[in-house]
Amino acid sequence: MSQHDEHGPRVLKHPLISRLFHWGLILGFLPAALTGFFIWLKPFGESLQNVIMQIHIVGACILTLSCIIYTIFALDRVVAFTRRIFTWDSRDMAWMKVCGGYPQKMLLGKTIPVPPMGKMNSGQKQMGIMMLFGGILLVVTGWALYAFLPVAPKAAMYWFDMVHLVVGIVLGVSVFAHIFLGIYNWGEFLCMFGDGTQPLHEAEHHNPVWVENEIEPVKGSNITTPGQQQPG
Amino acid sequence: MAHYDYIEKAVKVSRREFIGIVGVAGAILWTGAYVATDLVQDRTKYIKLRAQGIYNDDVKAKVRQSHNNQAVTDVYKKFAQNPLSNLAEELFHTKYVDRTKLV
Repeated sequence: MSQHDEHGPRVLKHPLISRLFHWGLILGFLPAALTGFFIWLKPFGESLQNVIMQIHIVGACILTLSCIIYTIFALDRVVAFTRRIFTWDSRDMAWMKVCGGYPQKMLLGKTIPVPPMGKMNSGQKQMGIMMLFGGILLVVTGWALYAFLPVAPKAAMYWFDMVHLVVGIVLGVSVFAHIFLGIYNWGEFLCMFGDGTQPLHEAEHHNPVWVENEIEPVKGSNITTPGQQQPG
Repeated sequence: MAHYDYIEKAVKVSRREFIGIVGVAGAILWTGAYVATDLVQDRTKYIKLRAQGIYNDDVKAKVRQSHNNQAVTDVYKKFAQNPLSNLAEELFHTKYVDRTKLV
């Protein structure tokens, strides 16, 4: 019996190009972030620090190329993401007041009612805004430091360095929280690192507003309306 | 091959959004290219001016060799022992960086 048969209808949550972009971020941002902390704290000798800087630059290349290619070939996904992270209403305020119910669930083992969310919950939206602006700042200041450090005005390079450091620390620490919550929400982890699909009932639980308004049956499928199918 | 029954509805990018994204990206790229070109031009100008200044100083200088420079010989006599001493090497020797391709 296939996974599909076991769990009923499935929804494609993360298309291939988004999963490839996520891999680009893993292979680009993670090495750049880890080596960034070593470049900042300088715990090793000169030759190892130089190797670490080379890894940092390779990571930056992968990260930058991933962002450019994704923006060009998946502009609709970038627009959808940007619309989502900047769409806030009273449900987000209510969600943030209870922190999405996560502290109660993780620390007290209690499940409390949480306002229904779209494809991204309010915490993910905040992370998305940080990633969008922080990512642009990191890439721009990083390449400026790489290319123009010896020739650009010293004051400008000082502030570029400070912005690169502070934004790097904030995003570097945030990404560890992202990894923890990604693994905690195991279904979402399997979806992103698997074939991008999720059982419909799981999506209905985490993203009811998205399931209600933003998905449709695949052409040729005999399923008509989301939410009417019973999990198998 | 992934099998699924539902898919997200297509996202329509409006003309206004498309022009906005292209405009912002274009502005960032154009500003970056302008700043980079300006910096490289300035750098080249300063390197040439600096090189010319050194040549001009050299033409005017009475003492043109470091081993005949009284200040240098004083440093070795009073402080750094002799040329190529360990202390002199530690303090004065630097790595050579070829910058001729910069101009």
